[in-house]
Amino acid sequence: MMRYLIILLPLLFLTSCIDIIDDLTLHNDGSGTLKYSINLSASKVKVNSILALDSFNNQKVPSIEEIKKTIREFQVLLANEPGISNVKIDLNTVDFIVKFSCDFNHVNTLQKALKKTIATMNESPILPAYDGDWISWDGTSVARIIPGAIAEKSRSYQNSDLPLLKTGTYTSIGRYDRAIAKVTNVKCKLNPSKTATFLQVNAFELRNNNRLLENTVVLTPLR
Amino acid sequence: MKNITALLFSVLSTLVFSQKSEALIPSQSSSVFSINNLQLLEKISVDELITYDFMEDIHQELFDGSTEAKSLNDAGIDFDQRINIFFGKDTRYEITGFTFGIKDKKALFSVFDDFDFSSNWDGKTEIYSSLFNHLVIQNNAAMLIRVEPVEALVTATTDSIWYARGNLSPYSQEAQIEDASPDDDTEETEFIDLSNSIDYEKNYNELLDSVQFYLKKDGLDALLKGVIDRGERLVNHAPAFNELLTHPVAGVFYIDRSRSFWYLKTILPRLFVDMKEIYEGNLITGDLILRDHAIDIDVTAQYGQKLGEIYTEMEDSKFDPNILKYIRSDHPAFFTYNINLRKAYEKAFEILIPILSKQKNERVIMNVLVLKLLDELINKDALFKTYKGSLFMTFNGVKKVKTKKVEFKYDENTFEYTDVISDAEEDMPVFTMGFSTERGDIPEMILTHLSQIASEIENKGDYWVLNKAVFNAAPMFMTHRNGLFIVSNDQTFIEITSTDMGKKR
Repeated sequence: MMRYLIILLPLLFLTSCIDIIDDLTLHNDGSGTLKYSINLSASKVKVNSILALDSFNNQKVPSIEEIKKTIREFQVLLANEPGISNVKIDLNTVDFIVKFSCDFNHVNTLQKALKKTIATMNESPILPAYDGDWISWDGTSVARIIPGAIAEKSRSYQNSDLPLLKTGTYTSIGRYDRAIAKVTNVKCKLNPSKTATFLQVNAFELRNNNRLLENTVVLTPLR
Repeated sequence: MKNITALLFSVLSTLVFSQKSEALIPSQSSSVFSINNLQLLEKISVDELITYDFMEDIHQELFDGSTEAKSLNDAGIDFDQRINIFFGKDTRYEITGFTFGIKDKKALFSVFDDFDFSSNWDGKTEIYSSLFNHLVIQNNAAMLIRVEPVEALVTATTDSIWYARGNLSPYSQEAQIEDASPDDDTEETEFIDLSNSIDYEKNYNELLDSVQFYLKKDGLDALLKGVIDRGERLVNHAPAFNELLTHPVAGVFYIDRSRSFWYLKTILPRLFVDMKEIYEGNLITGDLILRDHAIDIDVTAQYGQKLGEIYTEMEDSKFDPNILKYIRSDHPAFFTYNINLRKAYEKAFEILIPILSKQKNERVIMNVLVLKLLDELINKDALFKTYKGSLFMTFNGVKKVKTKKVEFKYDENTFEYTDVISDAEEDMPVFTMGFSTERGDIPEMILTHLSQIASEIENKGDYWVLNKAVFNAAPMFMTHRNGLFIVSNDQTFIEITSTDMGKKR
């Protein structure tokens, strides 16, 4: 899903306040559910004013209809990938909130499906810089990263309101069937039953340092 | 003698071969704002010039992320020549752009770095193109232009191709259902079905894009043939524009209002001929004069007798002094508008209705009938006392305005989250607009009844709120005070206006 952000990056980074949640439920067999929410409601005046333009900073501004079409295309393509089901995308065009969710039969299938969908939509193979695993699962530990190329791309978008990104957040949530033994990111919180992780970082700091979300979660051994 | 001949030849060569930027403005342009850099730069620096709003538009066209560190000063522009911003529209195309002089072509392309060489038109004219814009360079002058087909032309052309191929409406559900698999059990299968069916809407939109692309190319070619090959340039067709260029002022503007009726030419040709009589030669021209601490705009309107009669009646009006109470010295900008709407209406009715009544077109005849009936049946006293013709608008700067946002609230035990609506603040340009009225009870009556059916409209006692009025996010406030009906997105201003600035309704 992180890679899909490449498509939305221009609009996202032109706005000042943004809240993103990625919520991954991972079962012992590698299957699970990914939920991804992008909330621009705190910047809806700005988003609306940008959407009212034909072009902005020499880039074409998509219409709401074009955004809906792109989202629908993504939904249809991803739903047709093997191992992916229940693809749902809700676009709230009043508050500018996008909520995506899908089930997958294995985390590797999810990555493969996302890569293929993005490559199809971009009408080109996925760039090597974006390739590689952004999530890996060996049955006991799960490791997550943001590819440097995506972070670099996000930094390339200039925005005079960037300091306002400081009020935005990126929240990464992980949910597991069994208890967590340890996490590598010191900012990562665990719930009382130690079956879920919560890692929230500032959107501005994340833009400058994509390693803030790197985290390896080691689960207790299977009984 | 030999030296004098050489000197004369040299001067003549300079005159003949030095291209002036204004010479590239297409004859289709109906509005031009021409900046006389020589005059202007005596008063202000180039660095200051590029901070002005009208230059900001040029700036945005020129610069993208890759030219972040550069300014107009680095763009190789010849500031000894004018910069001319133009706009024109007819039944088929809308053109926008600007022309300017070139001092250093290499520097120009370090800024125009997203333009690729397209063609050498006639051995002397180079064409470069980017995603939206085209750059035409002839000698030491350039024109940046965007040619857009009007939406009606794109739609009409697309529809003619689409239906000629035997297609049904792309938005007809029947057409899609016929081709879709009849399996609609679950959401998952719904997507599979859609992907297997023919997406007529998508096909139609793709055809629309192709038609638009072709029409853009066709329009640009036609324009370039006119400007370059046939000399269809404003300087060759508009003596008034040429005369304006001789004014020793910082800038001039030229608005040919007779062009506003081009669209009638094909739709209602008879009406076009009749209306042309009224609007023939209707030019608004003006000089922009920079003073030490002020900018003067000297406007001249040229019009024929009939239009003059309407204008005379329109101007027979006294300025409403109440308006001055709402224009504060700390407002960055304001404008006022003052006409006698009733007198203008009556004179326009007297002149225009006989012209319109001669038309044979069914739509025009019906409109004339409606106009005549309204004129007879409507309470014109109430109408023109509600809006008399005096209005003002102020720009109050950028302020924080209250909006609503959706927040994600997390459960600390499960990290599940829910959407919660909370208050937010966003920066927004703040405007106030008001008009003189003797019948403030009429807008109040309209708002009272609308609030009964629309929950977005609320009465707050001294003023009204129209929630989510601006960009579906911020509210607008309305009040009736001192013989003015005032609308603003500045709540504080409206609250003060409603209490301190007068209770007299």
